[in-house]
Amino acid sequence: MSGESLIRVSGLTREYRMGAETVHALRGVDMEIRRNEYLAIMGPSGSGKSTLMNLIGCLDSPTCGEYWLNGVEVSQMQDDELARVRNREIGFVFQTFNLLPRASALHNVELPLIYAGMSGRERRQHAARALERVGLADRMAHKPNELSGGQRQRVAIARALVNDPSILLADEPTGNLDSSTSAEIMAVFEELYRQGQTVVMVTHEADIASHARRVVTLLDGVVNSDTVREAA
Amino acid sequence: MTQLFEGVGIALTSLRASKARAALTILGVAIGVMVVVVIGSMITGINRGVEDIFNQLGPRTFFVFRYFSGGINVSDGSDEMSPWRRMPPLTLEEAIRIRELPSIQRVVTEEGSSGPVEYGSTKLDDVPILGRSPEWTIVSGGDVLPGRSYTRVESEASGRVVVVNEKLASELFGHVDPIGKWIRLHGVRHQVIGVHVPPPDIFGESNRPQAIIPHKTFEKYIPYWRGWMNFLVLPSEQVTVQAAIDDVTSVLRSMRGLRPAEENNFSVVTQDRLLDSWNQVTGMFFLVMLVLSSVGLMVGGVGVVAIMMISVTERTREIGVRKALGAKRREILWQFLVEAATLTLVGGAIGMVLGAVATEIVKAITSMPAAIPLFSVVAALAMSVFTGVVFGMYPAAKAARLDPVEALRYE
Ligand SMILES: Nc1ncnc2c1ncn2[C@@H]1O[C@H](COP(=O)(O)OP(=O)(O)OP(=O)(O)O)[C@@H](O)[C@H]1O
Ligand SMILES: [Mg+2]
Repeated sequence: MSGESLIRVSGLTREYRMGAETVHALRGVDMEIRRNEYLAIMGPSGSGKSTLMNLIGCLDSPTCGEYWLNGVEVSQMQDDELARVRNREIGFVFQTFNLLPRASALHNVELPLIYAGMSGRERRQHAARALERVGLADRMAHKPNELSGGQRQRVAIARALVNDPSILLADEPTGNLDSSTSAEIMAVFEELYRQGQTVVMVTHEADIASHARRVVTLLDGVVNSDTVREAA
Repeated sequence: MTQLFEGVGIALTSLRASKARAALTILGVAIGVMVVVVIGSMITGINRGVEDIFNQLGPRTFFVFRYFSGGINVSDGSDEMSPWRRMPPLTLEEAIRIRELPSIQRVVTEEGSSGPVEYGSTKLDDVPILGRSPEWTIVSGGDVLPGRSYTRVESEASGRVVVVNEKLASELFGHVDPIGKWIRLHGVRHQVIGVHVPPPDIFGESNRPQAIIPHKTFEKYIPYWRGWMNFLVLPSEQVTVQAAIDDVTSVLRSMRGLRPAEENNFSVVTQDRLLDSWNQVTGMFFLVMLVLSSVGLMVGGVGVVAIMMISVTERTREIGVRKALGAKRREILWQFLVEAATLTLVGGAIGMVLGAVATEIVKAITSMPAAIPLFSVVAALAMSVFTGVVFGMYPAAKAARLDPVEALRYE
């Protein structure tokens, strides 16, 4: 049940210059992602998964190649425009959660709304609703160190969702979690996908990838395989 | 606005997290601000004191001096550096001629010295002794109470009568009533006829003992440095001060036989001129204030750079997260500038409290009516914020320029 095209990349290349040497992290990736897809990116270590995610997430700019998001070319954008796109269109979930340690769960979730320029009252309402969606209505005032790993990752998911992004990007979201907590997080993703959210995640583990409807594998900076799983 | 409060909150949290580092910065800024507040209050005190005196003198009184340079002058004893050597002393004849002018109401002649003053077994050294003509109570400020000042008759007869000021009275007599008692000025017996209560002033004179005697008595009995008589001149009601000054000037010039091309060899000084020269003195104070507070603020500023660099490094990951969530460069810059300014503002607030305490102490040990003027509160706060912003700019700009991917990867 995928919709129209959301993301199109073609010939996407990213090189890192290390002194005289050049590292080719991506060597020309072509890919299309549609609305309400649930996509897993796999591949061996160093194959360029994180590099690709950073480009899709507008944290980084490609050396060459095109990147269209929602019909807008972002590969040519400057710093502040990219920040705007990240704020409006992208929701990030990191392996290490990346919550602000001294701020409450609620305040952490409010952050993207602060940068969107929303007023305090409205912001707290939105953030509270996002925390309810991930089942943390009763943990809003807790600091990250007062929460379990699974709960922290759910706060991070709430933060990624609060701006109603076009796409949720997760780089190894269960990498720091045990298997039962991982299953919990996968259940949250599944639920979001069912509600219509587009999800792209990077993972090493086949059983995590099996939750996705489509699996892309990278090898040495190019797409190696792209399989769509039949609906269960 | 929400971001401002957010920034202040973050700043206070990170201050609490690094107290020792913050302390140096805060101390530096606090010293800078304290200096501004204290000196500001002293300048206000001096100005009030000067105004008090001049208010007491009556705004129209002006002075004739043998020599008045205005401001501060240093002498090495040479003729060039001691221009008064070419200025003849003022004379009593000149005072009399000035007094005859219809544009002049009063002229007080004044001369000063200092010497030992004794009452019974009590002896004070180096007490200022002034010789003044009897009109001094009209031109000068304060009250003679209890008792009275000397009359013209006593004055003409070189009567050995003396008006002591409050301070001298209390040091010589304690709780004994001074009126009618005999004291020795430079070994010469004088009878106390009054106690002068001077107007509050900043020159500390109300805090120093002082004896006032008739001018003629002074010349007859007191050793003094000849040639430094001054006149205090009060113009008549119906003429302008300038007209009176012009009259005094032309009388003195003609008595001294000056040709039109020659300059005055005496100084007629209005209170405005005196105030101007006071302003030069306060200008010096300002300079001292500027130097001292700059040193304090520099120390604070260096502290700001250090503490903010550490803060930026420690929070590299946080900066990456904020950028990933959509923070623009400007917003990161702003966050760290607010943090730096909060740091220095805390220092400023502490300095202000210390300054207020120091001002109270100055007030208690001198007679200076020191007071913290609004401008120094505003200036001190503005300066501390300014220091934070200026010195916080480099670390904040560094934070704002961080690459989000690199920052997120930072361990
Ligand atoms: N900032 C960088 N500077 C230099 N080389 C880099 C940089 N970032 C990544 N690389 C290189 O680019 C290649 C791809 O890195 P990337 O992080 O995308 O791999 P990955 O597939 O995410 O690996 P992993 O599964 O270990 O996370 C690697 O060879 C890596 O060394
Ligand atoms: Mg990776």
